[in-house]
Amino acid sequence: MGQNQSGMGGGQDPSKSKKDKKDKPKYEPPPKPTTRIGRKKKRQGGASAAAKLPSVYPTSRCKLRLLRMQRIHDHLLLEEEYVENQERLRKAKTAKDSNAPASELESSDRMADERSRVDDMRGSPMGVGVLEELIDDDHAIVSSTSGPEYYVSIMSFVDKDLLEPGASVLLHHKSVSIVGVLTDDTDPAVSVMKLDKAPTESYADIGGLEQQIQEVRESVELPLLHPELYEEMGIKPPKGVILYGAPGTGKTLLAKAVANQTSATFLRIVGSELIQKYLGDGPRLVRQLFQVAAENAPSIVFIDEIDAIGTKRYDSTSGGEREIQRTMLELLNQLDGFDDRGDVKVIMATNKIESLDPALIRPGRIDRKILFENPDQNTKRKIFTLHTSKMSLNEDVDLEEFIAQKDDLSGADIKAICSEAGLMALRERRMRVQMADFRAARERVLRTKQEGEPEGLYL
Amino acid sequence: MAQESDLPKTADKGKGKAVDDEKKPQDVDGKTPANGKKEEDQNASEELSEEDQQLKSELEMLVERLTESDATLYKPALEAMKNSIKTSTSSMTAVPKPLKFLRPHYESMTKLYDEWPAGDDKSSLADVLSDIGSWGHEYVRHLALEIGEVYAKRIANDEATQELVDLALVLVPLFLKSNAEADAVDLMSELEIIEELPKFLDENTYSRVCLYMVSMVNLLTYPDNEMFLRVAHSIYKKYNQHTQAMVLAIRLNDLGLIENDFEAADEDPALRKQLAFLIARQGIPLEFERSNDDDEKIYECLSNQKLSEYFKSLGKELNILEPKTTEDIYKSHLESSRVAGMTNFDSARHNLAAGFVNAFVNAGFGSDKMMLVGKDKDSWVWKTKDEGMMSTVASLGTLLLWDVENGLDHVDKYTYLEEEQIQAGAYLAIGIMNTNVRTDSEPAMALLADPDKLAHKNPLIRVATIMGLGLAHAGSCKEELLSFLVNIISDPEESMQVSAMAALACGMIFVGSSNSEVSEAIVTTLLDEESGSRLNDKWSRFLALGLGLLYFGRQEEVDVILETLKAVEHPMAKPTAVLAEICAWAGTGAVLKIQELLHICNEHIEDGEEKKGEELLQAYAVLGIGLIAMGEDVGQEMVLRHFGHLMHYGEANIRRAVPLAMGLISPSNPQMKVYDTLSRYSHDNDNEVAINAIFAMGLLGAGTNNARLAQLLRQLASYYHRDQESLFMVRIAQGLLHMGKGTLSVSPFHTDRQVLSNVAAAGLLAVLVAMIDAKQFITSKDHYLLYWIVTAMHPRMLVTLDEDLKPLTVNVRVGQAVDVVGQAGRPKTITGWQTQSTPVLLGYGERAELEDDQYISLSNTLEGLVILRKNPDWEGEK
Repeated sequence: MGQNQSGMGGGQDPSKSKKDKKDKPKYEPPPKPTTRIGRKKKRQGGASAAAKLPSVYPTSRCKLRLLRMQRIHDHLLLEEEYVENQERLRKAKTAKDSNAPASELESSDRMADERSRVDDMRGSPMGVGVLEELIDDDHAIVSSTSGPEYYVSIMSFVDKDLLEPGASVLLHHKSVSIVGVLTDDTDPAVSVMKLDKAPTESYADIGGLEQQIQEVRESVELPLLHPELYEEMGIKPPKGVILYGAPGTGKTLLAKAVANQTSATFLRIVGSELIQKYLGDGPRLVRQLFQVAAENAPSIVFIDEIDAIGTKRYDSTSGGEREIQRTMLELLNQLDGFDDRGDVKVIMATNKIESLDPALIRPGRIDRKILFENPDQNTKRKIFTLHTSKMSLNEDVDLEEFIAQKDDLSGADIKAICSEAGLMALRERRMRVQMADFRAARERVLRTKQEGEPEGLYL
Repeated sequence: MAQESDLPKTADKGKGKAVDDEKKPQDVDGKTPANGKKEEDQNASEELSEEDQQLKSELEMLVERLTESDATLYKPALEAMKNSIKTSTSSMTAVPKPLKFLRPHYESMTKLYDEWPAGDDKSSLADVLSDIGSWGHEYVRHLALEIGEVYAKRIANDEATQELVDLALVLVPLFLKSNAEADAVDLMSELEIIEELPKFLDENTYSRVCLYMVSMVNLLTYPDNEMFLRVAHSIYKKYNQHTQAMVLAIRLNDLGLIENDFEAADEDPALRKQLAFLIARQGIPLEFERSNDDDEKIYECLSNQKLSEYFKSLGKELNILEPKTTEDIYKSHLESSRVAGMTNFDSARHNLAAGFVNAFVNAGFGSDKMMLVGKDKDSWVWKTKDEGMMSTVASLGTLLLWDVENGLDHVDKYTYLEEEQIQAGAYLAIGIMNTNVRTDSEPAMALLADPDKLAHKNPLIRVATIMGLGLAHAGSCKEELLSFLVNIISDPEESMQVSAMAALACGMIFVGSSNSEVSEAIVTTLLDEESGSRLNDKWSRFLALGLGLLYFGRQEEVDVILETLKAVEHPMAKPTAVLAEICAWAGTGAVLKIQELLHICNEHIEDGEEKKGEELLQAYAVLGIGLIAMGEDVGQEMVLRHFGHLMHYGEANIRRAVPLAMGLISPSNPQMKVYDTLSRYSHDNDNEVAINAIFAMGLLGAGTNNARLAQLLRQLASYYHRDQESLFMVRIAQGLLHMGKGTLSVSPFHTDRQVLSNVAAAGLLAVLVAMIDAKQFITSKDHYLLYWIVTAMHPRMLVTLDEDLKPLTVNVRVGQAVDVVGQAGRPKTITGWQTQSTPVLLGYGERAELEDDQYISLSNTLEGLVILRKNPDWEGEK
């Protein structure tokens, strides 16, 4: 941007040039104009704030909005045109000045030359350190991972706008002076959570759950796609939902379907991942998770098994417990804290909602609680048809029999029955699954399910 | 099955916002056949999944059954149909599948409906039909979109559009009913039938509709913008919102309409007074017959006579009547200490700066510690010399601003002094104090329009007198003055300085009136071969400015003059043309004009040659970018980016104008990002850039007492303590910053930032044109040109009055204004408010509203002078 150039000029040059003037020998440089360097700034703010585009109101769809957007567009076109023209003129001028056709080549040569010289100065290998404090424009205190802190100089070719306390910097291997800035300072653990490959499950693979699907879409997908609908209605879209219900009722499946369907960034994490070995690492991970989410907005954060960190708070003497609680407190703050997170939606899943901290699931943090129940008859039928649709069934198979039975089956159980039946048929080298297989499979599944539940033991 | 039927839709929607738009038309395609607007679109069916196909055939079968003769089958068929419609769960943005499939059969079913005998079946069928017909708002919107598109197509092909218009007129009430006034207005403007709008409105909807329309005006092109304003105006008139109607009439700059509105409020003298205040704020010269006492009072309002009184009452309420000294402003004890004591305190220039600071800081309060002191010998005048004396005496004018009666006495004694500079200053002071105020006796005219003074042998006196006349009658369009001034413009014997001032004064007086007599005089001067050498004078730019001001805000009308100017060969012609053009398009935000101006800035001027005209051309173009963009929020922010580029690539002449343009774009509105940039420019290598940046900082904060700016300026004062010219400018900027002890504003926009005051903008422009070559004018001998800014000075106050114009104290909430256009419900119009009792100061972008319902405000915007009326329904706080 143009301001930068003159900004630099305003920063140092005038004092120099004034000094050069002979008629003012005693001239003393005034206090320097405020520099931005060394101030902690927000990611999007700072130097580029002046270059930011104005926000456009109203947010609802209408011609006024269109016109305002067009106006911005027009101005940007003008800007582009002007800058292009100027660059062309500038080039033409330098071409005329040097009067040599090969000037372009030359200049690119020079660029390469300069670049290699900078690389030389940087040296290799370079150390990585953390910038602790900026002393003045050319000096800073850094600490390297090995321990000691150094007072070092900052090389002039380092972009000082990027320097801020806490940034990772490249250090020269001998002089330890700062030779570069590493911009991406998020934990690699967080970027792993970003979902690169969408899961294959889609809404079509969910049997039943119409209501749940609708609620999730209303509160997660729709606000990201059509924020104006909420604006027109005059409500704030929900910030997040929690999915709860018995095991095997499709909570994670639904989240997968959302991930499959959405074009928003999908971050998934399991509650237990947030429990870290070192003190403060858990909360930091949470912060970074939401930072990444905000940077890649619109995004959806899915936290599975939230009960791992979200249990009710109680007085605990164990440091580990307290650390977990602090992690949750950070999560609370990220969900509904002071800073607006923008287009970040949160989906949580648990099967023990009653054990969660009430603060975590209060409206405002989690606006919708979506219950997943064991399927009713109709749903069971759908789930059965879903799972058997790709199986080769014998004619005698009548699924209605299982559907009509009053077993307490979850979606996962049904799937287990189907695959168990398939396994049975496989064992007997049959090409088709028979009704008998299904019956046996059901017996097995129900038996193992009973076993898992110990209440009968002590009768 | 419903969620399966959702599937394909979500699949093509799934990939996010970008594709979403493509999807909608497709949805529409599915529906349009029913309206007979488009041929059957069969493509949609190809992508249908199995389930959908099944559903579709099922529905088709049902319809089939209905068309058959077996009446017994009707009922179950209809039931099934209803069922499938009702059970379809779907996302909110898309039309349910069953409906989509039923659409093609809509017509045949309506036909059926007509044929059927009455009975249960029939009503049941009707249910189904209306279900299809009235499916939700989203659907109606799609329809509107479709109508708009088809209309555009038909217009392009010259086909009949009446049926579309009819259709639209059916939709509009629907929109209005469901709070979608934006859609209604959009649709009607798309079909160019916006005039029809008023008849669909009622008390509940009109205000939202008008708000939406008015906020669109800035972004529309002629003639749409005018049409919108006129329609909104007529709507306001219809619902008796006289003040709002008046504001729009002022925006239209339609004298007839203004008069009409003014007369319309005949029965209600209080309301008339309120309207008179509005007119007076804009400075429109309205002829007004006075027949009784009430009329006298209204005339008083109309001519701003009480302004001084109200302003002083504000000062009393805020406890700031005590005059401030320059030291209160400089606060040199806060400047870095090593500098203190080194400055030469008694230099004439320093004293002159003090005179200006004093003039601005105590402006309008009628008391100070330098000029209006007991004995003549103590007066500050004697501490300055030459032209400095003139400016210092003229500062009396701002001190006694608007207070014509008392002011003349104070100035009078200076007119008898021997020194001609002092006399000149006194004449200028008379002009200044009459700015924006009109009285019957016309003291400025009586004293200044005097052949003796206008033909005085000292050119300084001539200039001062002319400038005084220009200031005193700015915007008044007084024909009587023509005879005095026009001759001076075209007199080839006269020095350029005087002629140019006369032209500028005429421009000021007839601002935006495209007065032919004046423009002819100026153009002939420009055309005159012999005066070619005169035109090379540095003053000739004001001749050009005078011409430009005549066409202020006239837009296309200026083209005539531009054509004429093409005939002029003198290098001044081009800059003159640019100046005229930017004046004509001031405050419109027209992007095309900005583009033209940027093109002008494209070229780089090789220095050394005789390129004075070209340099000015580019400087004007830069100013023009600011001037044109200032009317409209989006443009205002965007041009800041342009300025960044101009600063980066531009040559010295462009760089010098950029800070000025930045000052022009947000006067009295210290935005952080603007003054941050300016503060960097104020240390620029090029001293003239720095000087201009400093002045722009003053302009930016004029009358706000902004602490951050004050600190920056103090730093600059110590930075430049050895550079007399820069220091002079820093002092002036400090004076501007504390203008009227922080009660004044120089922003040319008023009444909720809706209306651009021609006079104010013209005054600012005059000062800035002088600042382009600051070293030749302001920082050398012609600092009195700074007084042109007086036309823009206005108290940023809210004074509440009762119906007899007595000040009334009520509690108001003052807070940041919120743009509520197009928001749902009844959003708050201000945010972060504090409750204060009137009179109060309003900052830039601040708005006030009454705390309770005890009084009703006659004016819609609480700004300036507002008359309150007791609410008859008020029952007190019980």
